[in-house]
Amino acid sequence: MLVRRGALGLWLLIAVLAIAVVARTQLRADMAAFLPRSSTEAQQVLIEQASSGASSRIVLLAIEGVPPATLIPLSKALAAHLKQDAAFADVLNGNEASSGMRDFVWTNRYLISDVTAEQFTAAGLRAALLNDLGLLGSDMAPLLQQTMPGDPTGEIVKLLSRLAGPSGPHTSGGIWLSSDESRAVLMIHTRAAGFDIDAEDRALARIHAAFDDARREVPDASPARLAETGPVVFAVGTRDTTVNDAKRLSILATAIIAGLLAFAYRSPLVLLLGLLPVASGALAAIAGVSLAFGFVHGITLGFGVTLLGESVDYAIYLFTQTIRGDPPQATITRIWPTLRLCALTSIVGFAVMLFSDFIGFAQLGLFSIIGLIAAIGTTRFILPLLMPQAFFATGAEFVGRWLAAAMLYRAWLRPLIVVMTFAAAAALGLHRGGFWDGDLTNLSPIPAPMQTLDRTLRSDLGVPDLRYFVVVRADTEQSALEASETLAGRLQTLVTQGRIGGYDVPSAILPSEHTQKARQAALPDGETLRARFNEALTGLPFRADLFEPFFGDVARARSSPLLTLASLPSALALRVDSMLVQRDNGWELIAPLYKVADPAGVAATLAGAGLQAAQLIDMQQESAQLLLQFQHEAVSLAVIGSIAIVALLWLFLRSLTRVAAVTAPLAAALVITAALLTFGGGKLSIFMMVGFLLTVAVGSNYCLFFERAYHDAETQKRSIASIVLANLCTVSAYGIMTLSSIPVLHDIGMTVAAGTFLSMLFAAFLSAGRIVPEAVGQNRPRSGRT
Amino acid sequence: MRVTGLAICAGILLCALGIESEAGAATQEPWGLPQLMAALGQVKSAAGQFTERKTMHMLTQPLIASGRLAYVAPAHIEKVTASPMPEKLVMDGDRVTIVSGPTNDTHTFSVTDFPQIGGLVEGIRATLAGDLPTIERIYTTRLSGAPAAWDLQLVPRDEDLARFVKWIEFRGDGNHIRTIDTEDSAGDRSEMTIVEDVRDAR
Repeated sequence: MLVRRGALGLWLLIAVLAIAVVARTQLRADMAAFLPRSSTEAQQVLIEQASSGASSRIVLLAIEGVPPATLIPLSKALAAHLKQDAAFADVLNGNEASSGMRDFVWTNRYLISDVTAEQFTAAGLRAALLNDLGLLGSDMAPLLQQTMPGDPTGEIVKLLSRLAGPSGPHTSGGIWLSSDESRAVLMIHTRAAGFDIDAEDRALARIHAAFDDARREVPDASPARLAETGPVVFAVGTRDTTVNDAKRLSILATAIIAGLLAFAYRSPLVLLLGLLPVASGALAAIAGVSLAFGFVHGITLGFGVTLLGESVDYAIYLFTQTIRGDPPQATITRIWPTLRLCALTSIVGFAVMLFSDFIGFAQLGLFSIIGLIAAIGTTRFILPLLMPQAFFATGAEFVGRWLAAAMLYRAWLRPLIVVMTFAAAAALGLHRGGFWDGDLTNLSPIPAPMQTLDRTLRSDLGVPDLRYFVVVRADTEQSALEASETLAGRLQTLVTQGRIGGYDVPSAILPSEHTQKARQAALPDGETLRARFNEALTGLPFRADLFEPFFGDVARARSSPLLTLASLPSALALRVDSMLVQRDNGWELIAPLYKVADPAGVAATLAGAGLQAAQLIDMQQESAQLLLQFQHEAVSLAVIGSIAIVALLWLFLRSLTRVAAVTAPLAAALVITAALLTFGGGKLSIFMMVGFLLTVAVGSNYCLFFERAYHDAETQKRSIASIVLANLCTVSAYGIMTLSSIPVLHDIGMTVAAGTFLSMLFAAFLSAGRIVPEAVGQNRPRSGRT
Repeated sequence: MRVTGLAICAGILLCALGIESEAGAATQEPWGLPQLMAALGQVKSAAGQFTERKTMHMLTQPLIASGRLAYVAPAHIEKVTASPMPEKLVMDGDRVTIVSGPTNDTHTFSVTDFPQIGGLVEGIRATLAGDLPTIERIYTTRLSGAPAAWDLQLVPRDEDLARFVKWIEFRGDGNHIRTIDTEDSAGDRSEMTIVEDVRDAR
């Protein structure tokens, strides 16, 4: 009684403490945790750009379903609403595509543009005026006339073409329309970073609300529809679909499993108690990881709970293997040696992940270890106390009968298994181009029609796909900007040579203080400027007082405060922010390159550019590299884990034959599952690795229970029934996951369902143990080891 | 002045499209804008010399330019200025490319990027297609004279466009456009004279 109270008290205490920790746990979703600890600079840039860079904040909108005459005012109304909303840094719809920036650039043109003292000598000014006269006579005149009196040297024209955003598709009535005029197109940057999915979700909701408002304001706009795409939409959509699929499928799976177990147990209380080990495990695991790492990653949580799925089986073994009339304590004592080894093999297998270079893997390892310890502890010490003392799983009688019957023919089935295994191994060995999937887009859960819409809108808008970046390190913000100016010179040369189509650098928007001061110094004082200007004007047919605005603007520019990051309008600040990143030990300049024709040549030019550690990064290559590193580590951890499991088994079983009897069926099941998954040229995804981990954890239990020697028909019958019941539950739960369109759910589901089912069959057919005839209700004696 | 370039485009188009005055005269049907427009769709291509005189408020004396104009149906226009400065304007659909300056700077833009020229171009396109309703949607029209000597004046209906274009006036003689005059809201004027020398009509 005392022991009983003590165990329950301890369990409750741990549960309360764990809940207290879990309540304060920080859940993180940024991808940096899934970088290797020894990550390169390039990998950091890759992850950052993908999770918080300017391109991760893009929402592309298309308004459809109404004629152009309605699209135009609707696009304007929507943009007007969104521009007032602080959630959006930048709203572009073709109408004044750059107007927020145009005013700023106009006011600060002498600080941003590369002005020199030579331009403001009498000769320089005369050259500019002659050029202006030519322009007035040309067909460009209507576009230049307005700015000429304030800007005879033409700085604004140079700046706007340099800073222009996407060129846009086709403008009509001042807004962007697709070329067939069937949709209006808008491009938005959210203020929240791409990884902040909750904030992005709210931003999308505000876009919908703004669209509804706009639709009410514009006459005849009610049939209009809004289509949206871009990284933000993908991120939110993926999460929503994943959550929805997981919810929908888990409800279905729960119903099926509850039905199966209800049939087997015929007791609602026992049905609920069956959840206790996995719930305790998850709670303890979250608390433990939170204490050890300071946070829990969302991915760890998702995959971790998946891996704890094994502990649902613990309760099934206990409940189902109870023999009629035996108290639960007797059952747990009887099966404990095997059950303990079941948990230990999984714990040892998962433990190798602790040594992973990827923090995410390490968290997952710790999560499953703590979770399994808590779950097995709960099964061993708490469940027998809480379950009805006279419990017997009546319905489980029939569940395992078919397998026991099939086992009678195992002598014929064994060669078949051996042949299949070798054939599968050969197929894997011969698999063309390796069996790992290196294409990241295959992991993308974004439905194909949406990817198509995204490509269409992107090409309509001229939004470049960012693949190449130049990264330069610097000690201070100012030295980074100076490096950016040097880099810009080199990149301009590459543009002229046709090796790249274009580039973006922060100094094009925010020049270094040094440069800004030099530009101010290049501007002459008012009197000098007038004298030189009058000299330059001699003999030219310009009206005398035409250029008064110019004198005023130059005078103001000479004494204007220097530009800082804080003084930029939001759209430009966002651009600079994503190109100029502060690190622990300095600043990093990240300059995107567009249309890179000759990456090797560009890298070589940069190496000789006199810039400290200027580096060309190919995002596509980096992400493939990262994935490769992930896979290499997964494989080496799998090998180490397998060795550790074999060593553990030998330690407990003390017989190589018995170790082989446990591991051979599992190995055969894994090889055949891998071959099935890659059949017809398919590839293994990294998600399938998680599936294999769970298959090993769950399948090894089957093998251990089948490897046990049984002396009486009843225990053997109950044992087989418990395994079949456990496997039925696993196959239903994970089989249902294969219905999901989300690769992560589908892949894990497929792997686990196939892997565990084969593990069970092979464990049954390869087991050498004697089949007690009564176990199958037949009187056919068979020879075997006892 | 702001409309100079487009007035030229309009000029070459209308000129190229021509007016089948003989047909009109022979049948003695009442002559008006619909007849003028209907005849405009007949021309496949045309070319000629132009002289342009611009009077601008920014300048104390007029600018004179001259060169060649060419049109190919349905929407390709080239204006090659020879004097005083070589320049080439190509309009293809809604894309305009201007190559000018000593280094042959190339500027490409969509005509509708700039409201000051958007309405004008739409009018030209509608004229090309013989789309009288579109012309009348953008401009109020006033046609005077006879097939042998006519005068077509367009005044923008839209206030936005009127901020840039006060009026456009075409003068024709038979099936030729002789002059295109434009004036913008600032009072800048362009007067263009065209001498057509090549034509391929249906």
